[in-house]
Amino acid sequence: MSLQGLISGSECAVPANPLSQVLKHTEGDRSLQHDRIAGPSSGRLHHLPGTSTGHVNERDIAMARQFFEGSSQGSNAGPSFATPRHLPNTEMVRMGEMNSRAGLDNEAWAKEQQFHKLAEDSTVHAAWAAEFGSGTQRSLPGPFMQHEMNVRPDYQQSPSYMSVGGMYGTSMPMGMYGMNVNSNMYQGNYGLPSEQGRGKGKLKEADFEAAFAQAAASFVPAHAETSRIVEIDDSVTNVENALADTQAGERSEFTEVWDQLQNSDIPPPQEDLTKWEAEFNQFMTSHREDDLDYDFGAAMQEAFQSGEHTDFQNQSSHPKFDEDGLPVLSAYSFESNNKYLESSASTRSFLSDAKSMLDQNGSLSDAALLLEAAIQKGDLGEGGYEAWILLGETRNMDEREELGMRALVEGVKRAEAAGAAGVGKLSLAISYTNESYERASYTMLLRWMRARFPSQTIPEETANAVRNHSAWDVHNRVTEVFLNLARAQHSQGTLDPEVQIGLGVLFYTNSEFNRAKDCFESALSVLPKDYLLWNRLGSSLSNGNKPEEALGAYREALNLRPTYTRAIYNVGVACLNIGAHREAAEHFLSALTMQQSNNGETSDQLWFTLRRAFIAMDRPDLAEAAKPENKPDLELFRKEGFDY
Amino acid sequence: MSDLKVDGFKTSEIITELSSVFESISDEERKQQIKKINGIFQLEVSNAEKQTAIWTIDMKKTGTVYKGPAKPKADVSLILSDEVFAQLAEGKLNGQKAFMTGKLKTKGNMMLATKLDGLLSSAKAKGGKAKL
Repeated sequence: MSLQGLISGSECAVPANPLSQVLKHTEGDRSLQHDRIAGPSSGRLHHLPGTSTGHVNERDIAMARQFFEGSSQGSNAGPSFATPRHLPNTEMVRMGEMNSRAGLDNEAWAKEQQFHKLAEDSTVHAAWAAEFGSGTQRSLPGPFMQHEMNVRPDYQQSPSYMSVGGMYGTSMPMGMYGMNVNSNMYQGNYGLPSEQGRGKGKLKEADFEAAFAQAAASFVPAHAETSRIVEIDDSVTNVENALADTQAGERSEFTEVWDQLQNSDIPPPQEDLTKWEAEFNQFMTSHREDDLDYDFGAAMQEAFQSGEHTDFQNQSSHPKFDEDGLPVLSAYSFESNNKYLESSASTRSFLSDAKSMLDQNGSLSDAALLLEAAIQKGDLGEGGYEAWILLGETRNMDEREELGMRALVEGVKRAEAAGAAGVGKLSLAISYTNESYERASYTMLLRWMRARFPSQTIPEETANAVRNHSAWDVHNRVTEVFLNLARAQHSQGTLDPEVQIGLGVLFYTNSEFNRAKDCFESALSVLPKDYLLWNRLGSSLSNGNKPEEALGAYREALNLRPTYTRAIYNVGVACLNIGAHREAAEHFLSALTMQQSNNGETSDQLWFTLRRAFIAMDRPDLAEAAKPENKPDLELFRKEGFDY
Repeated sequence: MSDLKVDGFKTSEIITELSSVFESISDEERKQQIKKINGIFQLEVSNAEKQTAIWTIDMKKTGTVYKGPAKPKADVSLILSDEVFAQLAEGKLNGQKAFMTGKLKTKGNMMLATKLDGLLSSAKAKGGKAKL
C-alpha cells in the first residue's frame, strides 16, 4: 500500500522516480516475481476506485519517503515503466471522454467498472507488472476518484500540465482530445509525488500548491529525461524476456481484449444514445405504472361505482398512442340537434352554403353545423375529403380542438385514399401541437413533407427515428429536413409559406418562440391577409413571454376575421399573462357567447381558463359558478358587471 | 394565494400559477390527477443568494400547493436551484436529465419524482398557453 502513491507518481516523471531502486532489487529476485504474477496480483486488483483518498495518498507518500531515504539515487531502472504507460494513459483518455459527455450516467459507470476488471485481469502481461503492476493498477483509479468527488479548483490553474498530456499522449493520439480538466488535474497530481521524491520529501500537505508550481516548472527537464527512457529501454526488454515464458499466452490474450475494448468502448454513436434514451423512458413509464401499486380489484370497483360517463371522459383525456405517436381518437361525434339538418327540405348544397358563410365572416359555429349537415347528407365535396377538412379547420378556429382534430384525422384519411395525400396534414400537425402531442406532430409534418415535396429526400434514418427515438432527437431530425428544404427554396429565390409554417410549428413545439415568430413573419410577407397566420404569430409571441406584442398580432387577425374565436381566446390568455384579469375574463366570456350562439356545445378549455381568471381576481364564487357542469347562464356574468 | 410568495424566487411565481391551475380545475379532474400521481412532493429550492425556500405540492390527499414543509411527511423531496426549477417548468430541461447531471437531487421515492415533469407540463398546457 505504501508504494502506491509513488508508483502513481511515476506516471508523470518516470526516470526521477525513486522506485527505480526497488526495481533493481527485483531484477535479482525473480522467484518473488513469479509468485506474484501467477496469483495474487489480479486478485488484489478487485478493489475498485474510491477506496484510496487524498488523505491516504499523503500518508503513503510520507511512509514511502522513509522507506526510500536510505537508498541511493539511480535512474537506469526508471524506464521500465514505459510499457505500462499505455494502459493508464488510455484509461485516462477514456475517463476523460466519459466525463466530457454531458451525462455521466449509470451505464457509463457500469462500463467503467467492467473495463477496470478486464484491464486488471490482463495487466499481468509485462515484466514490470510482476512487482508493481498491482500497485499501479490499484492506485490509478484512486487519485482520479478523488478529483471526481471533491474537485479542487485550485489545481486547475496550472495550464502547463497540458504539456504533460501532450508528452504522454503520444502513445495514444486521441488522448489530448478526450482529456478534459479532470484528466489534466489527474496528471497534475502525478506530477506531485514525483516532485516529492526528487525533492527528498520536503513537502507538506500545505505546500501542495507551491509544489504544483514547481512541478510545472520541472517539465522542461522532464523532456530531457524522456530521451533517457529510450536509452535504457534494453533493461526492460531483459526483464520482459526473462518472464516471457510465463506470459506469452496472457500477453496475446491481453492484446485481444485490449483491441476489443478499444473498439467497443468508444462512446456510443448518437443514434444509439437516442435509442437508449427512448428505451429508458419506455422502461421508466412502464415501471411507473407498476409503481402505482395498482390494486385491480379496487380500481374495477371504483370504475364501476363512478359510472360509465366518467370513464368515457378518462379515455378522451388520456388517449392511447399508436407506434408513430399518433393519438388514437374516437370517431367524430356530430352535434345532436342540428337545426340545418332538420330543415333539410331545401335542395341547396350545405357545403357551398358553409363556404360562403366562412367567406362572409359568418359565425364559425353555424358554419361547422352546416358542414356537419353536409357530411351527414353525403355532400363531401372534392374527393370526398373537402368537407371533413373544412369542418376540422372550422372547429379549430372555433376553439374546439378536440372535435377539430378528429374531423381532420378523418379528412386526412380520406384525402390519402383519394390520392391528395398532402391536404389537411399541416392543419392536423398544428392541432396535435396545440394538444401537446409532439410526436404526432412530428410524424404528421414529415408525412406532409413527403406528400407535398416527393422530390425532397428524407433520410431513411429520420423516418425510422420518428418511431423509435426520443422526442428531442426526432425534433432535431425533422427540423433538419425542413431547414434543408427552406434553404433550397431560398437559393432558388422562392419562399413557400407552408414550409415556413411547418418550420414555425417545429420551433414552436421546442419552445423556440423567437425562431417560430420569424418563420410566421416570413410566411406573412407572402400571405399578409391570412388571419390564421396572424394568430399563429401572436401565440408565438405570447408563449415567448411577449404578451403585449402578441396583442398587436391578434388585433390584425381579428380585423380580418372578427368571429375568430381562437384569437379571442388567445387575447384573453395574453391579458391573463399581463395581469389584466378582468379584461381576460371578458374576452373569454365573449368567446363563450359566440360558441353558444346557436345552442352549440362550448369548450371546456374556455371555461377552465375563465375560472383561472376569476380566481386570479379573487372571486372564487364566480369561479364556482363557471363550471361547465353547472350549465351556467352567461347572463349571470353580465350582471356581475362584465362587459363583453 | 399570496401566501405562496417568497421574494427573490422565480419558483414562487411558477408555484403561484400552479396553484391557480389546481384551484380552477374541476373536482373531477382533480380527483383524476390525484389518482394518477398519488404523492406528496416537497420542493427545497435555493436561489443565487443562498436562500432556501420550501413548498409542498400535495397530489395525494388534497390536491393543493402550499408553502413550507410537507404535512404529513413528503413521499419525495426534491432539492434543486431556483434556476433549474424554472427551466423544468418551462420544459427547457427534462427531469431525468437534470437528475443525471446532478442539478436535481431527490430524497425518498425517486420514481415518484419522475411524475413531477408531467404534472408541471400538464399544468402549463392547461393554463395560459396561447394556441396556434
